Amino acid sequence: MRIIVIGAGKVGYTLAEHLTQEEHDVTVIDKSDEVIEHCSGSLDVICLKGNGANAKVLLEAGVDKANIVIASTESDESNMLACLIAKRLGARYTICRIRDPEFNESQTFLQNELGIDVAINPERATALEISRLLRYPFAGSIESFARGLVEMVEFRALEKDRIIGIPMKDLHQKVPGLPRILYAMVERNGSVIIPDGNFAILPNDKVFVSGDMVTITEFFRFLGRNNQKVRSVMVLGGGRISYYLSRIVVPMGIHVTLFELNPEKARRLSELLPKVDVVLGDGTDQELLQEQGVSQADAFIALSNRDEENLLTALYASRSGVPKTIAKNSRMTYMEILNDLGLDSVISPPYITTSTILRYVRARENGSGTHVERLYRLIDGNAEALEFIARKGDPYIGIPLKDLTSRKGSLVSVIVHQGKIIIPFGNDRIEEGDHVVVISSNPGISDLNEVLYR
Amino acid sequence: MNRKLIVRVLGALLAIEGLAMMPAFLVSLYYRDGDTYALANSLVATLIVGSAMYFIPKTEKKSYLRLKEGFLIVAVGWLVMSCFGALPFMLSGMFTRFEDAFFEAVSGFTTTGASVFEGFDNYMHGVVFWRATTHWVGGMGVLVLTLALLPKLTGRTAHLVKAESPGPSLSKLVPKTGTTAKILYRIYILITLLEFGALLLCGMDAYDAAVHAFATAGTGGFSNYGASVAHFDSVAVDAVITVFMFMFGVNFALYYKCLIGERLKAFWRDEEFRCFLFIALTFMLLITFFNIGFYQNELVSAGKDGSFGPALLTSLRYSSFQLSSIISTTGFVTFDFSRWPAASQMLLLLAMFIGSCAGSTAGGMKVIRVNMLFKMSRRNILSTSRPRKVDVIRVDRRAVDETIVSQVAQFAVMYVALVFIGAFLVSLDGKFDVLTNITASLTCVSNVGPGLGAVGPIYNFAQYGVWGKMVLSFLMLFGRLELLPMFILFTRSAWKKY
Repeated sequence: MRIIVIGAGKVGYTLAEHLTQEEHDVTVIDKSDEVIEHCSGSLDVICLKGNGANAKVLLEAGVDKANIVIASTESDESNMLACLIAKRLGARYTICRIRDPEFNESQTFLQNELGIDVAINPERATALEISRLLRYPFAGSIESFARGLVEMVEFRALEKDRIIGIPMKDLHQKVPGLPRILYAMVERNGSVIIPDGNFAILPNDKVFVSGDMVTITEFFRFLGRNNQKVRSVMVLGGGRISYYLSRIVVPMGIHVTLFELNPEKARRLSELLPKVDVVLGDGTDQELLQEQGVSQADAFIALSNRDEENLLTALYASRSGVPKTIAKNSRMTYMEILNDLGLDSVISPPYITTSTILRYVRARENGSGTHVERLYRLIDGNAEALEFIARKGDPYIGIPLKDLTSRKGSLVSVIVHQGKIIIPFGNDRIEEGDHVVVISSNPGISDLNEVLYR
Repeated sequence: MNRKLIVRVLGALLAIEGLAMMPAFLVSLYYRDGDTYALANSLVATLIVGSAMYFIPKTEKKSYLRLKEGFLIVAVGWLVMSCFGALPFMLSGMFTRFEDAFFEAVSGFTTTGASVFEGFDNYMHGVVFWRATTHWVGGMGVLVLTLALLPKLTGRTAHLVKAESPGPSLSKLVPKTGTTAKILYRIYILITLLEFGALLLCGMDAYDAAVHAFATAGTGGFSNYGASVAHFDSVAVDAVITVFMFMFGVNFALYYKCLIGERLKAFWRDEEFRCFLFIALTFMLLITFFNIGFYQNELVSAGKDGSFGPALLTSLRYSSFQLSSIISTTGFVTFDFSRWPAASQMLLLLAMFIGSCAGSTAGGMKVIRVNMLFKMSRRNILSTSRPRKVDVIRVDRRAVDETIVSQVAQFAVMYVALVFIGAFLVSLDGKFDVLTNITASLTCVSNVGPGLGAVGPIYNFAQYGVWGKMVLSFLMLFGRLELLPMFILFTRSAWKKY
């Protein structure tokens, strides 16, 4: 597909990088000489210097023949304008990054009037992600499929876990009472493994399990993981994510204590969020944290503007006995190292934004065939979980899985047949209308027919 | 340094070169004048070495080339390619000394067309055809071809193409480098076929037409006749080749734009093309004018009508051909221009410096750089009287980044310096006079072919010694790769691991 990316910041650059890897024709527009220089040296794209909200520049980039235009500059107004112009000039789909809460209020209206197909608010998306993590504190990350019927949960295996060191095929024999769930994928030392019968989980592996939420909750209870509901959280930094997060979790009955350094900002937050305790002060100050009772909190979330502060404070909170810590890291590099530090969850707003946009692009990829309903990028994009709905007339329908050839590195992990979850074996088959979740360590799938064929 | 990946890319390059020997091999099968085995052996040897280098080392999927490695690949690649390209010349007995065969191969790939071959017409057809093929392949760039044909070896191929294709900045036609390379090659093949057809219509036989079409396409200049294009002594052939030499000096991106819907406007909108056309036409008219008196004398001494009219036409015919040949850095000859008036010869030397457009197969400094140099000089002169005025250099009505401006200035300085340093090094050979050595150096750096004096249009480079030939070979490579990749080869940091 022909895709134009306007603004090659953190999100724009990563998007362009992934889109070229998926063989799309990408044109990057940016105002800065430096950015253009960097992009043209390291990406296989056409780079254009100019303002993306300028019709002339957009036409030069071939907007009239573009399938998707993605506006991801710093400025909301520029993004919206670029999308509006692009749509009028003939672009098929437009994706716009809008982050100001003020615009968020009138989002549907703006979207309709400006012809924006997808509006993405990175901060809100991040806040949503955090709220889900708070709901299930035992998980490092959660993705849900088939309208929430199937969940995929990530956790880190510990020495004391009773499943350690036992080959998969003997697991239920040797560990009686273990709830039956699917061990979908394991990350060990940076490489992705799809477990087979002889595979055994080792300490410090990052394991992805899937099943319905009830069974998964039982599974973690069986392992003796922290299963307490989160009732109070401490949030470092009063930025937009903190604002959205408070709006989401306060109605869930969670008590929020928010640290903000800037008096004006703190006052305004207190105005906007009446139920939240806004504390004026430096949330990285250990004494202040102790004084506010950090060790009694159920969760600590570090969302300040500085990645280093977030990571260090989260580590400190973890040492002080907070059971769940979440740290924001805006840079997408160094993720592997961070995982080794022992932080439960590290989230990155640009990463979340990129994943959301890529998911959308992948779903638009082919008009025919069975296209992607949902896509989750796991393990820093080295693996993917994809959801499809089986379509009438596709060649794999009604054929036992053992008679089908499947793509290397891919696994059909769950089939949802008429609201029932099936963890498939060789004799199971996919019927029309089933939701199918595929896990792949070989990214770039856009059609179920690429995974299963005769 | 990612040695394995470098070896693999070089292997792919050699495998492609081996395949490029195929047509010459088929030609030799047809004529059977004694070079079949030489070509077959070189073909097989190049293919085997190439595929071994490509298939044996294992590289990781995600490995990528660093900038330095890209430059190294280009420089080393061209050296290795020239060595293997010399095989057919050696094995067939065309040359007995390696430096001669190497010089001929380098001259072929760099599309210089300077020869050390002192043979005769109708020499072994296969080898001579291979010599023409080197022009065609070298003109557009072998790495570009490799990238177009091979599956992705590595990400970040942009700087490989950038290092090999002429011009201050790389203009992509479509987002993917590989697809761009394919489009460029298609256009290249199309225009080459057009010329081949036109030459057939002029009454050439298929072999001569193919050799000359290849030599024009790469703007090389190897002919299969000692007298070059003058051998045919036909106005039609002269005219066709004049036009096509000019066409191959034009940026290929413009043909693409023309074909996808901009029509002829694509050319007129391009500042570099307008400049190129202006320079070529002005030089041509001036040389025609300077040469009228000379041709009046020529016609009279040949016992023909020496009046103004016929002399003008004769002058136009030879002057336009020779100017087109020199400015496009082809180097075909229809007349011994070293006998022309000094003013005409000076203009030809200037044309050698300038060369043609960026993104073409031609050599020289490139019109776009000369154009920018003029604008820079103008800015400098004006700024002495109004130092506070902020002045931006524009090309195609667009401001040019100051880093590119300064790169162009540095390039020009290095280019001129290289010509003179080269001339000095060549003169250590101790055989020829100053004029010969300077023009030999210039003609090699600009990839033209003929110079003046003892390397003039009717002589060749065979009289130089081993030292002279090696220096000139390297000068050709410096010129073809636009200096930097070759200079990097001579820095110590290029060979360090980090």
